[in-house]
Amino acid sequence: MDPVVIAIWILRLAFLGLLYVFLGAVVRVLLRDLRAAAREPTSALGRLVVIASPGEPPVGTVFPADAVTTLGRDVNNTIVLDDSFVSGEHALITFRGRGWFLEDLGSTNGTFLNGEPVAGVAPVSFGDEVTIGGVRLRLERPGG
Amino acid sequence: MTARPMSPPEASALLWARLRPYLRPRPRWRELSLLGLVGLTLWVGSLTLGTTLNVQAATLAAGQPPPSLDGLIAASRPELLAIYLLALLGAHLALVVVGRRTDQILLPTIGLLGGLSLLLMERLPQDLAGRLGGLAQTQLVWLVLGLAAMTAAGVAIRGDAWLRRYKYTWAAVGVGLLLLTFVLGREVNGQRLTLQIGPFSGQPTELLKVILVVFLAGYLSENRPLLVEQSTRVGPFRLPPVPYLVPMVAMWAIALGVVIVQRDLGAALLLFAVFLLLLYVATARWGYVVLGIAAFIAGGGLLYAAFGHVRTRVDIWLDPFSRAQEAGYQVVQALHAFARGGILGSGLGGGLPTIGTSLPGGIPEIHTDFPFAALGEELGLIGVLAVLGLYLVLIERGLRIAASAPDEYRAILAAGLSLVVGVQAFIIAAGNLKLIPLTGITLPFISYGGSSLLANGLIVGVLLALSDRGVGAPPAPRRNTS
Repeated sequence: MDPVVIAIWILRLAFLGLLYVFLGAVVRVLLRDLRAAAREPTSALGRLVVIASPGEPPVGTVFPADAVTTLGRDVNNTIVLDDSFVSGEHALITFRGRGWFLEDLGSTNGTFLNGEPVAGVAPVSFGDEVTIGGVRLRLERPGG
Repeated sequence: MTARPMSPPEASALLWARLRPYLRPRPRWRELSLLGLVGLTLWVGSLTLGTTLNVQAATLAAGQPPPSLDGLIAASRPELLAIYLLALLGAHLALVVVGRRTDQILLPTIGLLGGLSLLLMERLPQDLAGRLGGLAQTQLVWLVLGLAAMTAAGVAIRGDAWLRRYKYTWAAVGVGLLLLTFVLGREVNGQRLTLQIGPFSGQPTELLKVILVVFLAGYLSENRPLLVEQSTRVGPFRLPPVPYLVPMVAMWAIALGVVIVQRDLGAALLLFAVFLLLLYVATARWGYVVLGIAAFIAGGGLLYAAFGHVRTRVDIWLDPFSRAQEAGYQVVQALHAFARGGILGSGLGGGLPTIGTSLPGGIPEIHTDFPFAALGEELGLIGVLAVLGLYLVLIERGLRIAASAPDEYRAILAAGLSLVVGVQAFIIAAGNLKLIPLTGITLPFISYGGSSLLANGLIVGVLLALSDRGVGAPPAPRRNTS
């Protein structure tokens, strides 16, 4: 066969092949990344990050937020906030169906969502700030 | 009181002190190795193109195929490819020097897409467009500027407060841009897409899609709890609460307005599709999406009945062969090009010599509207599938960045930015294949054109910045929850 034709065919097939070598290399990285993400324990629906605190828990602590999370000074709460302005059973954060909700459990000093006092049940979304006594927490998505 | 003028060494020392904390070199081996692979691939592609063209020229000169390959194997325009690869390396080095822990897949992926674009533009007739001495040179300049925009955004954006806080300002800018196009737009081929102010001309749609995503991310993340939890029942449907219906109806009206005034089906389809996708991302409710599609179909039916240009587009789509020599010419030629390409394609440079011109057999406007058909002819089904795979990689990266974002705003923003590129690629590829009516939007990173390359470069740059987990916690929300 004509060497010219053969040479051009080799080049063409090499080019197409290299396109797929690149795709294959990328897909391998993506799969590894996805497997690593799947191994991480992400059973929690969200997480609560402490962004300001007078004492316990220290700033930066991350709590997993489950479907029902109670906050207060009493040791039986899911998240214990050791601050004298926090009531024993202070507030409740719940995940119902498609969204998060915050309610005050009749605390002495009140619960605040983004600086506004919470009356009844307030819808919360990721990125919102909850203030309880001197402690400020931010609700974040679980993956971050 | 005036400050004492600083001497140049003093000024540079001060600048260095300011910049020093931002420079923390950190190697990005994965990105570098993938970029190496991109360079090799593009070099082989360039060799294929150059050799094929040389053999064609020799055949034409001698009247018969050349007996041997002596002196015929050569890269096509190696200087352009070298400049492009250096620009990719420069972008990589800039990211290394700054040392943020950002995504390492995005740059090689768009690098390969842009390189394919460069090879394609080298191969098309050089007098199609371009003021800087030919199609390929001009495209190279825009590719490099697009990479620069990406790098700048990926290096410099360290917080998103300026994006999320002024969402209504962004919306106003977008609507203003749209109105400006309605009034001042220049008609090209029956579509009013191009905005020209003085010597600058551009396609506002490309910028508009970015602004739309930025606005929707702000709006949807803020109103998500209300959109999800409350609803108004109308018969069997659950509509969003009435006050929140207004922006949705407005969005629908804007999409239809774009079709009527700009005569641009592609932009309308893109903007509305991205709107529905983001609504679904934010609320996870199929009902809204079904409702939106129904509204769009109803609006489309009305437009079909009322406007001639819409009817022409749809009729060409349904049966291009009945008007193959006039209105359906582009589509018919594109279908022939795909058919000639077959599975393996004719090889870069091996397509019909009249490709891209208005001569018989060529596709008019191939460099902007039909690059996908050109790739289909020269790389075949295999090559086209690889290109679609590259777009899928972009979407996957964007959605991964969205999934690991710390809050709603960044999640919706990242998902929206990657989906807008993916949906645009799908709309124009499907249009070229006669799967949906043909539209005049560009194939991201491959079509010829400055606005498109700059806007898509910016999008990838913002995605890069969003993929950095360490920097800039989201600002505290300012919202009245009452």
